[in-house]
Amino acid sequence: MNDPELEELFGDPADRAVVDLLKASRPAAPPLDPHFHNYLRAKLMTEAQRTLPARASRSWFPFTLSPKTLAPAMAAVAAGFLVVLGVEIYLHGQTAAPQVAYNIRQIDKQTNVGTGEPIVIPFSGPVDKTAVAESVVIQPATSVTKQWVGQNLVIIPDHPLSPNTTYSVTFKPLATPTPTPKPNPVVRQTPAVAPTPVVVHFTTVRPPVAPIVPPSFTSANVNYGYDSRLADSGTILSAAWTPAGQVLATRPVGQLGPGAPSPSAGATPSATPSGPPAPKATSDVWLMSSLGTPIRILVPGGSLPAAAPSGGLVAAWQVASRNQVSLGVWDLQGNLQATLVTLNAVPDRAPVWIGEDRIAYVDQGRLHVVDLHGTQASGLALRVGQGRLAASPTSPRLAVDAADGPVIVDLRAGGSPIALPSGASGFAWSSKGDLAFLVRQGTTSDLYVGADGQAFQKVATSPDGQTWSDLSWSPDSTSLLLATTATNGNGTSPTLLLVNRDGSSPTSFGASTKEYASPQWSPTGDLVLFTRGDEAGGRAFWTATATPSTSDSAANQALAEVAKFMLARINSDSVAAQAELDESGLAAYQAGASSLLGPAGSHFSRYYPVTVQASGSKPNTILVGVRIFSAKNGVETSFFEEQLALVAQGQHFALVPPAHRYLIDAVTASPTMPLGHGPTVVSVEVVQTPPGEQVRVHFDADLKPETVSSGTIQVKDADGNVVDAHVSFDADNHLATLAVKLKPGTYQLVVTTGVTDINGAALAQEYDAPLVISR
Amino acid sequence: MPDGFEDRELVERAKQDPEAFGALYDRYFPQIYRFAYSRVRDQSLAEDVTSEVFFKALRNIKRYTYSGHPFSSWLYQITLNAVADHYRGLHGEVDLEEGASLPSTAPAVVDEVVRRDRSRRVWAAIDQLPRQQRAAMVLKFSEDRKIEEIAQILGKSSGAVKLLLHRAVERLRRELPPEFEIGVT
Repeated sequence: MNDPELEELFGDPADRAVVDLLKASRPAAPPLDPHFHNYLRAKLMTEAQRTLPARASRSWFPFTLSPKTLAPAMAAVAAGFLVVLGVEIYLHGQTAAPQVAYNIRQIDKQTNVGTGEPIVIPFSGPVDKTAVAESVVIQPATSVTKQWVGQNLVIIPDHPLSPNTTYSVTFKPLATPTPTPKPNPVVRQTPAVAPTPVVVHFTTVRPPVAPIVPPSFTSANVNYGYDSRLADSGTILSAAWTPAGQVLATRPVGQLGPGAPSPSAGATPSATPSGPPAPKATSDVWLMSSLGTPIRILVPGGSLPAAAPSGGLVAAWQVASRNQVSLGVWDLQGNLQATLVTLNAVPDRAPVWIGEDRIAYVDQGRLHVVDLHGTQASGLALRVGQGRLAASPTSPRLAVDAADGPVIVDLRAGGSPIALPSGASGFAWSSKGDLAFLVRQGTTSDLYVGADGQAFQKVATSPDGQTWSDLSWSPDSTSLLLATTATNGNGTSPTLLLVNRDGSSPTSFGASTKEYASPQWSPTGDLVLFTRGDEAGGRAFWTATATPSTSDSAANQALAEVAKFMLARINSDSVAAQAELDESGLAAYQAGASSLLGPAGSHFSRYYPVTVQASGSKPNTILVGVRIFSAKNGVETSFFEEQLALVAQGQHFALVPPAHRYLIDAVTASPTMPLGHGPTVVSVEVVQTPPGEQVRVHFDADLKPETVSSGTIQVKDADGNVVDAHVSFDADNHLATLAVKLKPGTYQLVVTTGVTDINGAALAQEYDAPLVISR
Repeated sequence: MPDGFEDRELVERAKQDPEAFGALYDRYFPQIYRFAYSRVRDQSLAEDVTSEVFFKALRNIKRYTYSGHPFSSWLYQITLNAVADHYRGLHGEVDLEEGASLPSTAPAVVDEVVRRDRSRRVWAAIDQLPRQQRAAMVLKFSEDRKIEEIAQILGKSSGAVKLLLHRAVERLRRELPPEFEIGVT
């Protein structure tokens, strides 16, 4: 028993046997969100900085930080999941100056770094902060904002970092240390930047590769995971997703975060040239990560934002002058693109995008539609009620809770609005153009769904004594999330229900004892944004994770074999690697189609799958594209890509389909491409967007938008002819999208060296990859 | 166990230094989260409780004085109070002495026997104990706390803790299924 206390307590041998059993057992480790520790720590440290008395400054510390400098970066530090880079930087000054170095725990060479989070580099002693900040170079080229919080250099990417990318942060040597201001006559020696460059590396997260069979979000298929609070209650007043999965939030004035005005300055717009000072704004519009990290302030004095369906624009209301607000459009960097209208009263609801070029809003009880030049659509004189205003993503149609009854307004037809069932409210359009709404019937609610916004059918009715609200479609339009509330007034908190679009299989979603209200499904379906009250009477925004179970077993099996194959190659285990090859595959490697292990003097350091596709011509064959990185002396120097063809083995013997094993049957390899000499393509994805397709090309660097065009990114058919494509570019996500119409067959994506990063560096080498279209 | 002089010094520093408080947090987060989860059996709720524990600790750390017990005992006490507060809010006053078992998402013991391994079955059985017994058992057999510390955490005498442990073991003897073959060999 080995515990005197227990030996004394349990004299009975039968009791001792139980105690021995207990001593030999341990409870299973509880489930733990890996981010929760850091999330809570960041919040605690913010509170600790606020409430605990600050330590006395060191007498030799030569800088003071004004609140304006400190506040935004503090918030970045406090906001959540920070990337903290361990770096040992020796600072070099004059002969008598100390060497300053700091090395925190194992942080250099981090992997799985989040793409939307600030990077924090701690220093140990006094440094010339301006010189150090100016010396920072990030590769791949990344536009950043640099701020100091105490001895921490906080680097805030202006756009989210790219996934699957190894970044290097280099502190370049400066020829002459920058002189620093002297706060008093005492001469101080301030260490400056090291005489030789210091480089820190980290690698961002590896998101899942797009599956061959898209996951289904039918109610039985979706699994609830866990909840995370986005921010403290009262610090977010409204929130909505952007198409890229970030959050647009209305926050009270004075919240901390990158780019926030200092508390003393407030967020009030300055006085207008001809009028009195603007009224004091009470809120700002922010862009936040899905983890709750404030990324930047988009609209000072703004409220009720709405993201355009794609393209990175935001419409919001902004305080303009006394008793006036303007409807404006901003990009995701916070640059005002257009002011569309100015009103004399603050609207009570967000504007609504109709496609990419029109916006609907309600002013003094009337519906208005305006284009991005500020031109009002004529012929609309609809009086509207208090309900939801919602626009179809597939056609210029609006569902409106009009004062004379709910209707659909078709902006193409110009005719009379189409009446909806009396009492219809809570409109929600799916990504495919289906419209769902609710009709309250006494103590129940009816759920209606109409395909393509027509032929509405009642598909479900809530149990007696329970009403439904807040409809939110799944990304694939197969199911709806809704909030359920008891009508008997016993104080029961709303919970979430998942129901298929035909009303079948209603399934609870979320933890059974918790409150969930106002759900909004994220564009990719992996998160649900919702609100929850707290004991103090406040209300906070939360996210819940949602995972659809996948039926893509063939692709998963093939990817699992590729993972084993690649791990063996990274470990230089040629025997294990060859075990994943069939005869044909082995012959291909032996014939030099590609190198099984790293070239001499280097080794394979990491890989990630780029694509997984079903072969259009060969049954039971899965094509997996992998990118493989080579390193020398621990530093990645180059990469190449392999297209692996995996063939299911033993098909004619297999009685149980999941028993198939895939072996690598063929390989083709791209030329080796050097790293660190310009932007590179991170991934390529083909998305079905009937009647055509989108080819989405992700880059690892911030690019010059004008270099991304149909001249530099092309899809070619089997004969080498360029396929007509419309090319658009989303700078915030390093994403070029080609809208094309492709027939089944094999095509080639070509990205030329005409694409350059923000520093003017061109793609190191032309990039091409096969695209297989099979239906 | 990290408790000791170094810990006391860190606590004193944490009264003024956010970084020291962060170090305390790093040190005690795993066991407090584990303990919170053992009490509530719900990940989201365990996160809430853990969050509340450390914020309360931060707010009150200046009032904390070393009383011969490890700093962790104080955190465990706060955890128990936070858990009790939660269930009070849900179900009204709860008898903290020998009240009904907490609502648990853990399957019944019999189901556990069928499909889980031996160790997990034992701990599933502990999940079904009355809450005070369960707390004492978790602190003793999972967190390796001394009886005196457990007494301090639970606000009971050492004798009362011994009684809780004794009753719990007796109950396990009765309720664990026959295949455990508990008895004198």
